[in-house]
Amino acid sequence: MSALLAEQATLTVVSRFSQLHDAQDVHEAPLKEKYYRDLLPLSQPRAGEQLAFEVDLDRCTGCKACVSACHTLNGLDDKELWRSVGLLHGGTQAAPVQQTVTSACHHCVDPACLNGCPTRAYEKDPVTGIVKHLDDQCFGCQYCTLMCPYDAPKFNPARGIVRKCDMCSGRLAHGEAPACVQACPSGAIAIRVVSQSSIVAASDAQRFLPGAPAPAHTLPSTQYKTARALPNNLLPADFYSTRPEHSHPPLVVMLTLTQLSVGAFVLALWMERVHGHAIGNALAHAVLAAVMLLLALAASIFHLGRPTQAWRAVLGLRTSWLSREALVFGLYAQGVVGYCALLALELFPKPLEPVLALFGRVPVRELARQILPYLRHGTALIGVLGVYCSVMVYVATRREHWSATQTGLKFFGSTLTLGAAAVFCVALWSVAPGMQLPTELLDLVLAGASVKLALELHALQLVRDVRSSTPKRMAIVMLGELRGWTFTRLTTLLLGGVGWPALMLAGWLPSSAWQGFATLGLVLLLVSELCERYLFFRAAPASRMPGALR
Amino acid sequence: MSNDDKERRHWTHKLSQLLVRREGPFTRELLLEPAKFGLGRMPSSLAPDATTTMVCGFCSTGCGLDVLLRDGKAVGLTPAANYPVNLGMACPKGWEALAPLRGANRATTPLIRRSGKLVPVSWDQAIFHMVERFKAIGAEHGPGAVAWLGTGQLATEELAFLGALAKFGMGMIHGDGNTRQCMATAATAYKQAFGFDAPPFTYADFEASDVIVLIGSNLCIAHPIMWERICRNPHQPSIVVIDPRTTETAMAATQHCAIQPKSDLVLLYALAHELIRRDWIDHGYIARHTTGFEEYAQHVAEFPLERAVQETGIAREQLEQLVRTIHEGKRVSFWWTMGVNQSHQGTRTAQAIIALALMTGNMGRPGTGANSVTGQCNAMGSRLFSNTTNLLGGREFTDEVGRRDVARILGFPPASIPSQPSLAYDQILEGILANKIKALWVVATNPAHSWINQHDLREALSRLDCLVVQDMYHDTETAQLADVVLPAAGWGEKEGTFINSERRIGLIKRVSRAPGQALADFHVFRLVAEGWGVGDMFRDWSSPEAVFQILKRLSRGRPFDITGIDDYAMLDRHGGVQWPCPEGTLLDTADGPANGHGREHERRLFEDGRYFTPDGRAKFLTAQPKPLPEGCTPAYPLLLLTGRGSSSQWHTQTRTRHSAVLARLSPSELYVELSPEDAQRYGVAPDEIVSVTSQRASVHARTFVTHTVQPGQVFMPMHYPTMNQLTFAAFDPHSRQPAYKACAVRIERLAPA
Repeated sequence: MSALLAEQATLTVVSRFSQLHDAQDVHEAPLKEKYYRDLLPLSQPRAGEQLAFEVDLDRCTGCKACVSACHTLNGLDDKELWRSVGLLHGGTQAAPVQQTVTSACHHCVDPACLNGCPTRAYEKDPVTGIVKHLDDQCFGCQYCTLMCPYDAPKFNPARGIVRKCDMCSGRLAHGEAPACVQACPSGAIAIRVVSQSSIVAASDAQRFLPGAPAPAHTLPSTQYKTARALPNNLLPADFYSTRPEHSHPPLVVMLTLTQLSVGAFVLALWMERVHGHAIGNALAHAVLAAVMLLLALAASIFHLGRPTQAWRAVLGLRTSWLSREALVFGLYAQGVVGYCALLALELFPKPLEPVLALFGRVPVRELARQILPYLRHGTALIGVLGVYCSVMVYVATRREHWSATQTGLKFFGSTLTLGAAAVFCVALWSVAPGMQLPTELLDLVLAGASVKLALELHALQLVRDVRSSTPKRMAIVMLGELRGWTFTRLTTLLLGGVGWPALMLAGWLPSSAWQGFATLGLVLLLVSELCERYLFFRAAPASRMPGALR
Repeated sequence: MSNDDKERRHWTHKLSQLLVRREGPFTRELLLEPAKFGLGRMPSSLAPDATTTMVCGFCSTGCGLDVLLRDGKAVGLTPAANYPVNLGMACPKGWEALAPLRGANRATTPLIRRSGKLVPVSWDQAIFHMVERFKAIGAEHGPGAVAWLGTGQLATEELAFLGALAKFGMGMIHGDGNTRQCMATAATAYKQAFGFDAPPFTYADFEASDVIVLIGSNLCIAHPIMWERICRNPHQPSIVVIDPRTTETAMAATQHCAIQPKSDLVLLYALAHELIRRDWIDHGYIARHTTGFEEYAQHVAEFPLERAVQETGIAREQLEQLVRTIHEGKRVSFWWTMGVNQSHQGTRTAQAIIALALMTGNMGRPGTGANSVTGQCNAMGSRLFSNTTNLLGGREFTDEVGRRDVARILGFPPASIPSQPSLAYDQILEGILANKIKALWVVATNPAHSWINQHDLREALSRLDCLVVQDMYHDTETAQLADVVLPAAGWGEKEGTFINSERRIGLIKRVSRAPGQALADFHVFRLVAEGWGVGDMFRDWSSPEAVFQILKRLSRGRPFDITGIDDYAMLDRHGGVQWPCPEGTLLDTADGPANGHGREHERRLFEDGRYFTPDGRAKFLTAQPKPLPEGCTPAYPLLLLTGRGSSSQWHTQTRTRHSAVLARLSPSELYVELSPEDAQRYGVAPDEIVSVTSQRASVHARTFVTHTVQPGQVFMPMHYPTMNQLTFAAFDPHSRQPAYKACAVRIERLAPA
């Protein structure tokens, strides 16, 4: 028995079949070169040209060898795939059509991943046009995975970075074919030199691949060719598949709390200007804004695959809204915290005297008093700019459901309602007895929440739409797998955004209960907005190449 | 450049490197380096210190895979560049062939069921228990009460060992294999028509044809590497696909006959009729090399094109075009797979294909042939050596001369060789239901998922007194029902040979250690032989290569004579060798294994027109087409077609599900394809979970609404465990192969929860 187990454990293949391997040792040149020679370009691209994948649709039969070869020959992790094979189908009963489609990174002329990257972890090679991802530069924010309409960059959770197809540039540079090209049994994938102006022309003519996201956004270079006339009703096999997408919890928290912070900071300022004095404790207002913002920024760090590299977030300022968002909220944070500090100095000079003493004869308090209004107005402006950047982060993805209107209404709506509710709450707790309460804030909460509620109910009834539109897909997911979240969102919005302000405004609540109700209301509203933001990500249909059955 | 400039550049570079890191550990990880061995550039994680070629263990294409070795252990693989089968390519299963070995749920220790639970025991205990139970059951109910179900997934040496041990050593009478589910029809058809189960082709025929007719075969998905060979055909061939569905292959074809399911026999008879009517047949070939043509011509006279138009649903013009294509082709090859084999009249259908090739003289020349594309990696080895229906080496149990031959060659007492053939798979199950068979040994197959009409199968398994399951995984649907589980090493963890579709004998090698106490099936059989007390009888059966020498002796003078193959090393050198290869065959080795197209790599049968029948002539055989065993009714208005769903799933997925890559490349749940017309008629939406109900069961499946299936038909893939609850157990009368391809179902929306 033990002899059998021992024999089972010995590996003798090398010694037994060794002569063959000695003979093969001499082969430095790749043996498969003869199969792929014709699939590589004869020359380097010239100015205005670049390398591109060329897929012969008439040869692609969906065996998916390209996907596995890409996985193996690039040494990818178990679940990591850079290439995918989808399916288009359509035609008529008499002339049915199905067409499998292989795709990886399209090495776009105007790569959205590169434009969106806050760390400059993407480079487009000036000669080959290959869009390369710099793995060691990436800090894992995954914004490129949202920016790319074709789902080419893939997040690798084990490493905390994104990786993607680089057209096997390490092979191409030495005359070897990329893994997929080597592995396609029917020779459907080739590398060709294409002129970038022809890519632009194709995009202008709306020509890329049926069922794929429109080329105008990024100018994808992949050339899909076929000798047949494809029917005009081709749909991806996963067209009707509606599944929740990733939720990005840190972003949910970050977005909601930054908006709360900005709303609270701005509305406290506005109320003070309207009423001519601070409503309640000015420092409490400022501290609330600061605490919320710091929580938000802390949450955003957790979103990164490599949080220690967070400082790189501002490198992409020239093109990336994410960089701008990071920079602006960074400034806003300094403004809010600085404002808190100066205000504390203004309001509580006594305990801070030892600190002041450090500055010797510099008239710190005088200076602070003079700076304070500028700092406050500036910070408020920067905060609003920050929310605008947040909106643009999603608008820049050019997804239908993240349009400027949709996202703007959501984000600025949150800023308004959460900010108003928060300022009202703080005012309630800190206002001197007998002082007038800023009930116009309740109008704001009520109005903001009502508009949101109305819009969202309207969006949900689109589930009955006959078209498979993006709103319908979202409604299907929100009323299907995510119905618990949707229900929570709507009920908390009704209670926390509409219920208590309405009751208070109508005078149906005894003023003794206002503090409790308002605080509870604020918490409910916050929960509600967190749910809304969760659904903002999860119910959003992904943008990708035509998929296979899932 | 001044020093200042240099200095400044140096610092800008440093700064830019500080801000943008182009290098580092992550970048190095994916760096590609020359890997020698003709592999080109590889990531360092795969860089081998040696490579070795072995054949893939999934389908019968028999691709050569270069396993990348470090210290003799596999670290990865890539398709062999010069293996004469696959020419540097592989399908996703081949690329991922090593992944299932690392899968969770590998059986690592023998298990015995005690008070309802499978508990780990030692090998000695497990073998003792198995032997004791089998002997007790045999003593009580007779030797016919213990049977086995084998597979086309084991090495030929292992199949022969299992068959010889079970029948000659342990005295069993009945054993069959899962090859009954895929290749029995082709084997029977060939045996009756050619006198021996001899697929005549070589893959080079794919490249040499000018007309390729694929019948019931979705080559692009089921055998992508054979499709590769068609892609390499330089003659711009006409490719005809005969299949009810618009498959990937049908899309790539030049003609597609979307016939009504199972109207293939009528179609083939009508084509024959038309060819004869127009006198587009090869009288010379028919006269010299066949018998029974007159009767055949008479028979097909009842099948004018009008009848085919009516029954197949194909327009007359298209049928005429097809006839013309076959006639005008100079080298016409006919290929069929499961669409034909898994049918209630598959044998005669296959023979109608053979008849077309014979009457048009499309046999024995490059690019011709009536060619059955095989299923499993070693279905062909099983057909020759499993010792189930046929006595070892394609002999008959009923033939005394054959029995004496085998006894003499093996040195076994003639009395140890039973004179009655095994029952077929379905008959073994009937035997269990009839309480005649009480113990079953299931080796490397998963009937509790794959057998037709699961309800009856599970009923049968539950009636057994003892079910022994030998498998790589302890959690297959069948292993979960077992009384004893024997942990087996898998492909890549053991040695032996496979025989592929084109009769090429290829090597598998041990390049990875089996987990825990798992043993090569070969070794398990040695243990059972010792446990049974017949160890001495099998003393010579000491290693797979020793058994290979025994198999050579069994082949001498037979149609598949392989006495010209010296040993494993020779197989390794040549990139496999096709049978026959009798002693003295000259294999041109001038440029060794690097020669992908040398004559020794590509040989076809019947080039001299001599068949293996006693008179040396091929036979025409006929039957009257029969209606579907289970036709549609108002209650079950849709016809369910089944088949392979994707190139990344293998059969019951016991192995492929353990590859994260393959799992990503196939749908995660059972789906049903139906036409937009039927979706509307039955009120179901795309991507909706519906119930699919046959007279036997009701299962849930997600809808895929597509024109590629015709109205009145639905398609479901076989890889999901509930699917075979629906199928109807009908069988081809000659081959006993189950007719998986057609049963009646209805589709309904689920009641709202």
